[in-house]
Amino acid sequence: MTLTICIGSSCHLKGSKKVAQTFERLIEENNLKDKIEFHATFCMGNCQKGISVGIDDKVYSVTPETAEDFFAKEVLARLGK
Amino acid sequence: MIDNLYADIGYHSLTKHGEIVCGDNVKKIDCPDGSVVLVLADGLGSGVKACILSTLTSTIISRMVAENLPISYCVHAIAEALPICSVRKLAYSTFTVISISPNGLAHIVQYDNPGIALIRNGKEVPLPFVRTTYDEKMIESAQVQLLKGDVLISFSDGAEHAGVGPGMSYAYGWGRDNIVEYMEPLCHVGFSAKTLNTILLDECYSRYDGRPGDDTTALTVYMRTREQVNLMIGPPANREDNEKMLSLFFSKEGKHIVCGGTTSKIASEYLGKPLKVSLDFEDDDIPAMGSIEGVDIVTEGIITINKVLEYANDYLKDNETYSQWCYKRDGASTISRVLFEEATDINFFVGRAVNPAHQNPDLPITFSIKMQLVRELAECLRGMGKNIRVSYF
Repeated sequence: MTLTICIGSSCHLKGSKKVAQTFERLIEENNLKDKIEFHATFCMGNCQKGISVGIDDKVYSVTPETAEDFFAKEVLARLGK
Repeated sequence: MIDNLYADIGYHSLTKHGEIVCGDNVKKIDCPDGSVVLVLADGLGSGVKACILSTLTSTIISRMVAENLPISYCVHAIAEALPICSVRKLAYSTFTVISISPNGLAHIVQYDNPGIALIRNGKEVPLPFVRTTYDEKMIESAQVQLLKGDVLISFSDGAEHAGVGPGMSYAYGWGRDNIVEYMEPLCHVGFSAKTLNTILLDECYSRYDGRPGDDTTALTVYMRTREQVNLMIGPPANREDNEKMLSLFFSKEGKHIVCGGTTSKIASEYLGKPLKVSLDFEDDDIPAMGSIEGVDIVTEGIITINKVLEYANDYLKDNETYSQWCYKRDGASTISRVLFEEATDINFFVGRAVNPAHQNPDLPITFSIKMQLVRELAECLRGMGKNIRVSYF
């Protein structure tokens, strides 16, 4: 699975760094390094609804507060965990 | 200048503790023929009187030397023009004149300032001074052909005496030769004149425990070759102009910096090389950097450039943030090092596309702010003595 986080201007200001750190921690804690390809990207063209996070080709909106929840519901669920 | 030689110049003064104006003064004149004239003057005493003496001296001499008048005339004119101090019955200001022609030939004249130093390959080289007396004033003058990498360092006696004062730990001050020895190994690191100058004055400041006992001024000239850098920010207003903007940008010699998410994307498409974005968050405030094969620096746009502008404004004032951008690996620091230290000529390629996502009232970034940032940054870089060209697309 490819997990992408937008670090463009707008998402950066909304706190994409915090979301990225949360994801990095959760990937580590759940031992998913070989299952998830996690990387950053510049603007995903979804600024109004940011912070933009992509799972494969689908774009979602996440905030630092919902990041943990999002990871459980969308990422872990998809991996059957 | 021959071989693209370029005189990079930095100067700054520390004002004597408790005074509101500095009694030292530096004047720089860029002559129409491409030569540059620099005068460092130190007025008798301190405060307003000294300030008037040194400002008159540096202004008169720099103007006269720029007009190619002989130095004897200049000295005479100063003696005639300076007001006589009612307390000391003296009209006096020391001075050092450096005049550099477009081919790098330097004429140096000094009167009573600590001796100027020429540092070549990390070692001081003695200057062939000739002594002459005009109006009972002993003037030293020398001519020298400057080479690439040469550094000239001149300072007022406040630097020489750094550390002298009640409760301070240096009985005899820093000393002219010690200053030169301190600067020698730093001169071939590639620091800009401004940075070398800041290093010298920072050391003076700490030797004075933050309370300079005298006005302290340093003037540094670093002979280097011209270095062109190209910076692109923003996609063009019309999509059809992408090709034109990118081909012009990439055909330029020198380093290439690409700022902005969409801008990076079109650059990566143009080059046919993938855009990779790092997850290394070097700095809390600055977005992570990207990379594209064929581009030297790839960063986010507006937040990064805003920080570069902040550093640039400070560079022209106290240069206090130097300690941050000189080593940090975030986008803003990386760009600052290249623009402030390496570049002598900078071409800005500014695209005027409006990013619809940025026109959100919740966000402190708008199109007009981006244009404003570029304008201000260009102005700051001009203030650093760089040639700037801005093209809009």
